[in-house]
Amino acid sequence: MAEIAVGIDLGTSNSCVSIARGGKVEVLQNTYGEPVTASVVAFHEDGSIAVGNAAKANIIHDPMNTVSSAKRLIGRYYFSEEVKKAQAVYSYGIVEGPNHSLRIQIRDEEFSLPEISAMVLREMKTIAEEQLGEEAKKAVITVPAYFNDNQRQATKDAGRIAGLEVLRLLNEPTAAALAYGFGLGLTQRVAVYDLGGGTFDISILEIGKDVFEVLSTCGDTYLGGEDFDDRLIDLMADEFVSREGINLRNDPYALEKLKVAAESAKKGLSVDEQVEIRIPDIAMGTDGEPRSIARTITRDEYSALVTDLVQRTFKVCDEALQQANLVTRDLGGVILVGGSTRLSVIRHAVKEYFQQEPKGDVDPDEVVAMGAAIHAASLCSPEQQDSVLLDVTPLSLRIGVAGGLAETVIGCNTPVPIEQTRTFTTYQDFQESVKIRVFQGESRQAKENEMLGQFEFSGFKKARRGEVRIDVTFEIDSDGIVNVTACDQETGQQASTQLSLSSGLSDDELDEIIEEGRTDRVRGGGDLEDGSPAPVEASSPAPVEAPIPAPAETPSADPEPEAELSDELELLPEPENLLEEAPDLEIDEEAGADALADEEDEADPNAATQPDQEPLAVTTEPESAAGGELPPADLAAPVAESLAEIQPPDSGDAIEVNDLDGSPDDELEVQSGAASLFEEAGVDLSVFGDEDSES
Amino acid sequence: MPGPARAEIKALASLVDELDYYQILEVQRDAPASGIKRGYHDVSRRYHPDANRGLQRELRKNLEHVAKRVTEAYSVLRDPRRRQAYDGQLAKDARAVRMQLAEANSLAEKKALEDHMGSTPQGRRFFNLARTDIDRNDLDSAIRNLQMAITYEPGNDFFKEKLKALRGHSG
Repeated sequence: MAEIAVGIDLGTSNSCVSIARGGKVEVLQNTYGEPVTASVVAFHEDGSIAVGNAAKANIIHDPMNTVSSAKRLIGRYYFSEEVKKAQAVYSYGIVEGPNHSLRIQIRDEEFSLPEISAMVLREMKTIAEEQLGEEAKKAVITVPAYFNDNQRQATKDAGRIAGLEVLRLLNEPTAAALAYGFGLGLTQRVAVYDLGGGTFDISILEIGKDVFEVLSTCGDTYLGGEDFDDRLIDLMADEFVSREGINLRNDPYALEKLKVAAESAKKGLSVDEQVEIRIPDIAMGTDGEPRSIARTITRDEYSALVTDLVQRTFKVCDEALQQANLVTRDLGGVILVGGSTRLSVIRHAVKEYFQQEPKGDVDPDEVVAMGAAIHAASLCSPEQQDSVLLDVTPLSLRIGVAGGLAETVIGCNTPVPIEQTRTFTTYQDFQESVKIRVFQGESRQAKENEMLGQFEFSGFKKARRGEVRIDVTFEIDSDGIVNVTACDQETGQQASTQLSLSSGLSDDELDEIIEEGRTDRVRGGGDLEDGSPAPVEASSPAPVEAPIPAPAETPSADPEPEAELSDELELLPEPENLLEEAPDLEIDEEAGADALADEEDEADPNAATQPDQEPLAVTTEPESAAGGELPPADLAAPVAESLAEIQPPDSGDAIEVNDLDGSPDDELEVQSGAASLFEEAGVDLSVFGDEDSES
Repeated sequence: MPGPARAEIKALASLVDELDYYQILEVQRDAPASGIKRGYHDVSRRYHPDANRGLQRELRKNLEHVAKRVTEAYSVLRDPRRRQAYDGQLAKDARAVRMQLAEANSLAEKKALEDHMGSTPQGRRFFNLARTDIDRNDLDSAIRNLQMAITYEPGNDFFKEKLKALRGHSG
């Protein structure tokens, strides 16, 4: 018999595991007989670790040592907006690790996010193995379609740490469509509306019998069911402040109770017209008497609370339809995915927007795992394929060029796997090396995109500026993971990297983590069988380990303290080659990024009006750089070039940096020395400021 | 649908960089958008790496290379503007080839040259496949591919001659 391969929907709030065999797809239940398991990890005093619904129950008693919603944090930089947001909402410690990475601090231990997710995966693996009576070594794991490379890479690492061979990272909406249309021989265009716990995705697919082609995918990684809960939490907390003068947000225990209440109210409202919220003794009044919350909330009230969130999802839908060149009329079906889509306010709004009743026979909690299982089985079976998935990359892949700009290499919604080669040249006479920085996102401003990583390429002949030709090849594989290779045209010398995000885990770190086996402390479902449903106090043989120091010293590819300025230079795109690609990429951007109209629109019309022959996207680059972004001084003083690149002094963004770091004029050298990650930090931190003032 | 033969994958991988986007998707130059899509789906069914499992490393790499060219071709041809720009490029290339042909002295020479190169994308493709087969001494496969080439170019004397020679060889 073939090896067992399962499909795992690793969700923000809940996870689900499924298997396809003998022509049937089956969701595997945990020891409580539930199809979904909470993606919550509880760290007990005795060193043992529990995952799932028991762990979730632990949040109220021990919020500091119970980690939920790790998916919102995986693959993020410490300075990102989402992290700030999470720090405000979650009680567990979110601290900074090496290279702007994130660590979860539990007592005196620090865990990387892939480790936390690995614990959840480990639990799902155990659930599968107990149900199947066989070892499950291989899995297809789903990710939000809008996940960037950093998040994908980190999820893949999590799988590896959990002892799984990750056959494929599959986009959640694609998995849902596969589960919906598999084996039915449909010829139909469908929209998958996926509102998960922490993310929103919309994918438009064309199903042609056995071929599932994603036409477009759009998303919002900052919008999910938890945001809906937050609205209700805010309402209750605000009411409590005005009634009792006590801010429950400052009390982690009270906050957890509010969260639980908000979530269960949401669930109740998807069934009933109104629900009653009761939280007895949530806080102590100033008079020493306990205070409670008791209120009813109706569907209408709730709808009013979240209506802007719902509308936000439709803006994303507009974009997806536009990129697929379709209108809602063209769609033969709408599939709802994610627990939040059970809410009547969403069902109604979706029905209205798409002008059709969503498919009723799809379980929004299970469909993704089922699709993953189908794909896992088909990737493992030695037989011929049953279906072919043709997916796209959700985000444009960009390379950093002079002037703080990022040039598109592969546009968003391009089918994968794909490869593109572009030729670049040096920026300075006798330059010895170039730094290749790769971004993902839809902005022309480098710093407004997610930085995937950077690597240095050297060893080419020293020559006058513009004489060296370097081919940079970008590849996005079927997992959506990015590879970059640089090659000197003259010597044929190569440098390649699987872009590992600077804050991600290096291979060595990964090996170390696996060796350490901290995820082994996860107590599988087996512990629960001895009749202790909430193993908070359960005493299992606890392999209490010495506190493990944060791997802060690990000298992974550290891009930060870049001392030699002279080498740290931008590549200029070379105005030759790839004639048909250059304008195309511009067109892509134009179609895909109307939301960020500003800069882009100014550059684009050129490309759009004469999309032939002239490699406009490339030639406009130096022009705009010289004309707009870079001060003339920059061309005269070689050292200043890299500085200007790192910190465009006249752009609006520089102001934000000013706010943080003082005058850019004074600090230029310091700034550039600290290289590009700081420029990212600058942007993001300033966003935090906004965020704070909002909340 | 049975997957492609190993030899075909290998040959295609070495050939795919020379094929134009239409040839890669096996569609006519004037194919409508729906035809481009159909071509993409059909070719993907056959050559998508997921659809061909259990291949050795090298073959897998070959197939991945083909798959990337397929998506590249599709991502250009599905977009009317990009397709138009690409067509312009192709026309320029074609002119260059025609000029080369014009330099040939006589009509006969012209035909011989055309015959050697093949005059249809499919014919060229199968002829090239056959050539690779010959290199690796797989005569049966070479004959099959050559026959295919001739079905696309029944008037190609050069192909016929080759086929005859091959048949003689394999007895």
